[in-house]
Amino acid sequence: MKIIVAIKQVPERDAPVRIDPAGTWIEESSLQFALNESDAYALEEALQLKEKHGGEVAVVSAGPERVGSTIREALAKGADRAVHILCDDLHSRDALGVARLLAAAIKPEQPDLVLSGLQSEDLGLGQTGVIVAELLGLPHATLILNVEKTETGVKVKRELEEGWFQSVELPLPAALSIQSGGNKLRYATLMGIKRAKTKEVRILTAAELGADSAPVVRMERIALPTKQKSTQMLDGSPKEAAAALLEKLKFEARVL
Amino acid sequence: MVFPLPTLAEPQHFSLAERVLFAALAVASVALFWRRFGPILRNILRSKQDADFHLFPAGKRIRDFAGEVLLQGKVIRQRPLAGFAHALVFWAFCAFALVSLNHCAALYGLGFLNPAGAVGRFYFYFAAVFALGCAVGIAGLFIRRFFVRPKWLGEELSWESGLIALLIFVLMASYLGAFFVPAASPAARILWWTHAITLLAFLPVIPQTKHLHLIFSPFTVFLSRGSFSRIPPLVGDEDFGLVAGRDLTRIVSLQAYSCVECGRCTEHCPANNTGKLLNPKEIVLGLRGYLNELGPASEVPLLGKHIAQQAAFQCTTCGACEFQCPVGIEHVPIIVGLRRGAVNTGAWDDEHGAKLFLALERGSNALGLGAAERDKFIEKNALPIFDGTQEYCLWLGCMGSHDPRGREIVLALVRVMHYLGTSFGVLRKERCTGDAVRRLGNDLLFQQLAEANLEALAQNKVTKMLSICPHCVRTIQEDWKEYGAPPAIEHHSEFLARHLAQLPRGGNQEQIVFHDPCYLGRYRGVYDEPRAVASRAGLLVEAPRHRERSFCCGAGGGLAFLGEEQGERVSHARAAELAATGAETVAAACPFCNSMFRDALAARGEGAPQLLDIAQLAARGLPEQGN
Ligand code: SF4
Ligand code: SF4
Repeated sequence: MKIIVAIKQVPERDAPVRIDPAGTWIEESSLQFALNESDAYALEEALQLKEKHGGEVAVVSAGPERVGSTIREALAKGADRAVHILCDDLHSRDALGVARLLAAAIKPEQPDLVLSGLQSEDLGLGQTGVIVAELLGLPHATLILNVEKTETGVKVKRELEEGWFQSVELPLPAALSIQSGGNKLRYATLMGIKRAKTKEVRILTAAELGADSAPVVRMERIALPTKQKSTQMLDGSPKEAAAALLEKLKFEARVL
Repeated sequence: MVFPLPTLAEPQHFSLAERVLFAALAVASVALFWRRFGPILRNILRSKQDADFHLFPAGKRIRDFAGEVLLQGKVIRQRPLAGFAHALVFWAFCAFALVSLNHCAALYGLGFLNPAGAVGRFYFYFAAVFALGCAVGIAGLFIRRFFVRPKWLGEELSWESGLIALLIFVLMASYLGAFFVPAASPAARILWWTHAITLLAFLPVIPQTKHLHLIFSPFTVFLSRGSFSRIPPLVGDEDFGLVAGRDLTRIVSLQAYSCVECGRCTEHCPANNTGKLLNPKEIVLGLRGYLNELGPASEVPLLGKHIAQQAAFQCTTCGACEFQCPVGIEHVPIIVGLRRGAVNTGAWDDEHGAKLFLALERGSNALGLGAAERDKFIEKNALPIFDGTQEYCLWLGCMGSHDPRGREIVLALVRVMHYLGTSFGVLRKERCTGDAVRRLGNDLLFQQLAEANLEALAQNKVTKMLSICPHCVRTIQEDWKEYGAPPAIEHHSEFLARHLAQLPRGGNQEQIVFHDPCYLGRYRGVYDEPRAVASRAGLLVEAPRHRERSFCCGAGGGLAFLGEEQGERVSHARAAELAATGAETVAAACPFCNSMFRDALAARGEGAPQLLDIAQLAARGLPEQGN
C-alpha cells in the first residue's frame, strides 16, 4: 500500500504566543516548532499500516525552510521519503490554497491512501484534508481513530459525539483525516534520525507545482483571547450550594 | 648461627628426575591455564576500543590503585572483618611472589634467596608473618563462606571457593612447616613438593573461577572510566549504545571478567532489595556469559537470554553498586549503555517511557505541563528575570517550575537569597536538562535538550548557576559537556553551607534525619554541606544507611516517570528506615526525593515525621518579612 501523509509544522504547544506588529499573524522569531499533534497520529496510523501490510509511507508538508526539521522527525519515525513544498507565505494562504499545493504534489504519486490530521493546532480550521480529498476526487472520511485494511478497501472507526462510534467502509484509493488518540505514538530515536539522513526529501515550489492562487479568504486581524475571571459565591446550606454548583457546571460551564 | 631462630628448610639436592618432573608439571599447568585464559584475553582484546579513554592525567588512577588495590581500602571499609581477612591474603600473595619464584628456581640451583643468609633470612621471616596472617585470614573466610553464609554470597555453596581456600591454606602451611624441619630431612622434601604442586595446581584454577580477579582487578581499577558513573559519548553513525556484542568495549569486557561475585552491589541495590528482577551482579555476569558464549563480535542483542530488558529498566542509577564494587566495575555506564541500545533503536516499548519522551519532544518539561504554568509561577512570586547583571542564574528545573513542593523549595531558597542580598535571576524559558532521558538512554532527545539549553544560557551570558535539584546539577555540569561548555553550577546545599554564618540560628532540639540524595552524595561527593545546614536547625541524627551508603528514594534514572514498581516501592522502604530513627523531621535536598517521600510518608499515616528540604530548614529562622 502506498500511503501519503500530509503533515504540518506548528508552534510548540506551550510556546509563548505574541501577535506580530501587522496584527495578522503571530511573531515567529522566538518560537519553537513541532509536528502538529493529529498529524503525528496520522503518521503513526500510516506506519502501522505499512508494518502490517507492507508498502511505502511518504510525507508531504508545505512551509518555509524550518519545516525541514519536522520532516526529518517524520522520516526518523519511519516514513520512507518526503516532499517539501517550500513556501514562506503559508499563513497567508487559505485552506483552499494550501490544499491546492498539497493536492498538486500528491496527485502524481497516485497513492492508495492519503492521510492527514484532523486539524492543525495553530489555525484549527479542520478543512485542508477534506479539500485535498475533493481536489483529488477521492472518497473521504473524517474523525478517524483507526484504520483496518479489508479485501476491497479500508474499514475505519469514526468518533462521533457523546461516546458514539461509527464504522464505515471505503474503497481505495481514499483520503482520511485522523483524530488524535487512536494509537500509541512512537518516540523518535537516534537510529531513526541517522537513517533519515539518507532518505529522499524532494523540494518543490508553488510555482513548480502550478498551484499558486490568490486566497479567497483573507486574515483580517488576530487577537489573543481576553482573560476573564468570574468568581461567583454560592450561598445557602452546603446541600443547596452543592445543588446550585451542579446546576452551573451542567448548564453554564457545560463541563458535566 | 647468628640467630637462634629456626631456618627455612630447603632440600639441598634435587635429582634430574625431580627436575624433569617439575618442568613437565609446570608446562602442563601453564598450558591448562592458557587454555582457559587465552580465549578470555582474546575476548577482551577483540572488544571495541573505548573511544573516550584517556590514561592521563593518571594521578587519580594511581591514587585509586594505591588505595583500592594495594591498601585494599574499599574492600576493608565496606566489610571490615571479611575485608581485612581478604587484605591479609592479598598482602601475603604480594610478599609471596618472591618466595614462590625462589622456590621454583632453587630446584635448578638458581635460588636467589639464601635461607641462611641475612637477606634471605629476613625476607623469609617477613613472608612468614604474612603467611601466618594469610592462613588465619583464609580460614576465617572459609568459615564465613561455608558456615556463616551471608545471604549475598548466594544460595549455592561454591566448591571452587572451598578448593581455592584449601590450596591457599596448604601453600601457607607447607611454607610455614618448612621452618620446623631440618633441611636434609625427607620431611623438607615432602613439604617442598607439596608447596610446588599446590602452586602449579593453583594456576589453572584461576581462570576457571572468579579468582580471575587476581589477574584482572588491578587493571580494572587502574583503567577505570576516570570518574564516577561516567556515561561515555557515542561515536560515529552506527553507535547506539550497547546493542549487541560488537558494541562491548574493552573496558566493559574487562570489567565483565573481573567480577568476584562478592554480591556487594546486589546487597546495596535498592531495586534488588525491594523485590525487582534487577540484580547488578547478574548484569555483570550476564555480560560475561554472553562473551563466553557469543564473543565480542556478535550481532545477537545483549538484552535477551543473558540480561533481561526489564531488569535494565528497573535501575534507579543510584550508583550504590558501582560505589561498593571492590574490583572497580562501573555498573551505571553499563546499565545506561544497555538502555541506550534499546531506546536509541526503538526496541524499548513502554507506555510511560514513550509518554515522557513525547512530552519532551513536543514541550519543555518532563512533567508534560505547559510553559505558561511556569511563567505564572515566576510572575506571581515576582522572581526576577536573569538579565546578565545578577550574580546567579537560579535554575528552576522541571520540579522547581511545576511541582508544588519543588516550588516551595525554590521559594524558601529565594527568601534566603533575598535575606543575604545575593542577586539572582531566572531564565524566561527553560527546557528540561534531560536527566531522565539521558539515563533512560534516549540520546537524541538528550542532545536536543542539552543543545537548546546551552544556547539559551550562552545567549543570556550566564556564568554561575544555582539549583535545588542534584539531578539538574549533575546533568548540567557533567552530561552537557558532551555538547558544549556549561556554566559553573552548584547545588543549594553548597551555597547555603557557605553562607551559614550570616543566617540566623533557627536551631532547636528537634531531631532531624538527613537523607543523602544519590546525585548529591555519591555523584557529587557533597555530604557535609547539607548536614551543616540541617544541624543548625536541629539535632542531626543519622539513618543506618547514610552518606556513601545512602539508600535511594527510587526516583532516579527516569524511574520517577515510569509506572508502578514491581514489588515493594523503594521510597516506602527508605521512608520506613528514616521514620524508624525516631526523628521528627526528615530533611531532603532533592525535589525528587521530596516528592517520593511525600507520598511514602503520607502512606505511613499518623505520626510520620514531617518532610522539609534543607532550604526550608534554612529559611525557617529568617524574620517573617524576609522577602
Ligand atoms: S545503580 Fe542502584 S538501582 Fe541501579 S543496579 Fe546499581 S544499585 Fe541497583
Ligand atoms: S560486580 Fe563488583 S560488587 Fe558486584 S559481585 Fe561483582 S565484584 Fe562484587
